[in-house]
Amino acid sequence: MDAIHTYSFFFRFCLVAALAFPLLSFALSFYISEKYSWITSVLASFLLLLGTLASAVVLYQAWNHSPFTYQREWFSLAGYSFSAGLHINNISALMLFIVTGVSFLVHLYSVGYMAGDAGIQRYFAMLGFFTFAMQGIVVSGNLLMTFVFWELVGFSSYMLIGHWHEIPAAAEASKRAFIINRVGDAGFLVGLMIVWAHGHSFDIAALQQLPVDPTWMTLASLGIFCGIVGKSAQFPLFTWLPDAMVGPTPVSALIHAATMVAAGVFLLARVHFLFTVPSLHVVAVVGCITALLGAVSALAQHDIKKILAYSTLSQLGLMVVALGAGSPQAALLHLFTHAFFKACLFLAAGAVIHTLHQAQHQSHVHFDVQDIRNLGGLQKKLPFTFLIFVISGSALAGLPFTSGFLSKDAILTALVQWKGEGFSWKLLILAAVALVSFLTVVYTFRMIWKIFKGTETATARLYVSEPPAVMRAPMAVLAGVSLWIWFSWNPFDFSGWMYVNIGEAKPFHSGIVSIASAVWVILALGVAYFTRQVAFGSSWLLNAFYFDRFLKQFVEKPILQLAALTHHADKKWIDGFLHATAYAQLVVAHLTGWFDRAIVDGLVDGVAGAARGLGSFTRSFQGGKIQLYIFWATFGIIIFIIWTLL
Amino acid sequence: MNVPVHHFLYLGAFLFSAGLVVVISKRNTIMVLLGLELMLNASNLNLVAFNRLHPGNLQGQMFAIFVIVVAVCEAAVGLAIVLRIYQEYQTSVPDDVNELNL
Repeated sequence: MDAIHTYSFFFRFCLVAALAFPLLSFALSFYISEKYSWITSVLASFLLLLGTLASAVVLYQAWNHSPFTYQREWFSLAGYSFSAGLHINNISALMLFIVTGVSFLVHLYSVGYMAGDAGIQRYFAMLGFFTFAMQGIVVSGNLLMTFVFWELVGFSSYMLIGHWHEIPAAAEASKRAFIINRVGDAGFLVGLMIVWAHGHSFDIAALQQLPVDPTWMTLASLGIFCGIVGKSAQFPLFTWLPDAMVGPTPVSALIHAATMVAAGVFLLARVHFLFTVPSLHVVAVVGCITALLGAVSALAQHDIKKILAYSTLSQLGLMVVALGAGSPQAALLHLFTHAFFKACLFLAAGAVIHTLHQAQHQSHVHFDVQDIRNLGGLQKKLPFTFLIFVISGSALAGLPFTSGFLSKDAILTALVQWKGEGFSWKLLILAAVALVSFLTVVYTFRMIWKIFKGTETATARLYVSEPPAVMRAPMAVLAGVSLWIWFSWNPFDFSGWMYVNIGEAKPFHSGIVSIASAVWVILALGVAYFTRQVAFGSSWLLNAFYFDRFLKQFVEKPILQLAALTHHADKKWIDGFLHATAYAQLVVAHLTGWFDRAIVDGLVDGVAGAARGLGSFTRSFQGGKIQLYIFWATFGIIIFIIWTLL
Repeated sequence: MNVPVHHFLYLGAFLFSAGLVVVISKRNTIMVLLGLELMLNASNLNLVAFNRLHPGNLQGQMFAIFVIVVAVCEAAVGLAIVLRIYQEYQTSVPDDVNELNL
């Protein structure tokens, strides 16, 4: 890296354009009339293509140069100024490109997948907004700004998961995703406050220079980790992710690959310096539990998308373990490779679902196409999708010559380095991760076997054809980048051009780990082949150990009871006090009103009345009646005489 | 016949009061003028009656004659005014003549 790199105007323009195109796509979607809603999908894809090109320029120009930073005051409060800033380094430029690129492919795929959907404009609008929000997190150089985009990501995921909001399960799942994320974000906010109280800055670059106060740093980093647990669906806030599968499949691809859950891991890598040793241990343990839980639960699922969802859980767990083990590089490498192959898997699964749905419509046969027990023998009918599924599935399983092998190898190597010599609890985590990678192979190939091999069951009578080209192209691209070649020339050495440039740590590569890893997954492949007919039908596994029920019983119920209690107290005491105050005020008002009317007005009216009475009395003497004058004159004389005589 | 003086004075006072009541209470101007005559005559009666107490002094009686003359003139002038008013307003009630009052 050179010392100070000056960035051209073109670079700045492209950076703004990369973010502006998805936002423009969001805005324009509302201006196209319902009649021509197909334009929305094409236009959105085109805008995202432009955004991808712009982010490619950003990546090309920022790669291996000193970071591009931009900062200006956002607002000032109580004498402190809060700034907003951008920070583009290798990691964020690469992430920006991957987010925009995967989002473009998902857009393109959605043109085919969502054709004819009633809410297509809302769908593409939110897809664009989702991408924009995620890009905001990626380029942000400021934790406060990150938090804002973080919330926007949560909001847009809520909109997209609940796209088919007329289905009760979708509405429920979107609410659940949003609320569980809020729980994590509460912790995030507390963490941010602690950071602010100590550093008076949210700027990530400035925070790196902060003197370390172990206790507070641990608390702050654990707070931020809470937000990451929510967003990246770690234990114990993971239940929303499998439920979110009711959303459209391309959305799941986007959520699982590049946007939603990746945000947590990306942020964790970005603020890794804030984490102290104890909090890193917590991170590693949480990641390990999530990885195991996801892998074991994935074994027993029947729903294609649920299997993929639990596999995402376990892969995210692996990334978090790597971060906990102090290797953001390995975690980020896995994040990047995972982005491609998981998006590809979801798109391929979406293709299966989509084509089967179409076939069902033609032949009027109805069964749950997402349930792998109903599927089988589709290899002949969908050879292209099968090929895609096998490539991306191999990458997920971590077979040699795939990107997944490289990144899993990186994580395992990092863990081997981390555990050090001798026996400790860290060895358990390494063992658990090894077990997870073993199980990954088993459930991935079980799924592929059930869908494409075996005997045809319910699908036998359907006429199934490959999805349209607009859906096949993104799948092909993503399957292509699931190969090793894009990440490292040597398929058995993960420290390729990407790995060495996304972190400072010296590349450490152990051939033994690579070979052991390769042997391990091939062994797992054998196990997967021999157990392909075994059904892991435990209801415990199927429901992820009933964790959501556990949460309902021990978290939701007490909170609801507490809420009822506070509601009651509020009604009875707070409202009662307010009502009493209001009543007292009413009484006082009535009293003063009466005083005003009777005394104050009465006094004024009395003076006026007296004047009027006096006037009419004296006027009565001047009545213009002659005889009255005479009477008064006589009366006066009589009075005068009586008075003088007496 | 020897009538004590105060009987005349009582009669005079009664006549005067009756005249005053007539002046005040009657609506018609002619009746008011009649009341005025009654009052004048009541005072004449007093003037004449007091001669009893001062037999040598004739000033009172002279004054009474003078009052009679003036009363005639007054009645003449008054009736003339009443006539003019009647011609002008077709009424002899003073309360109805209220042109200046409005």
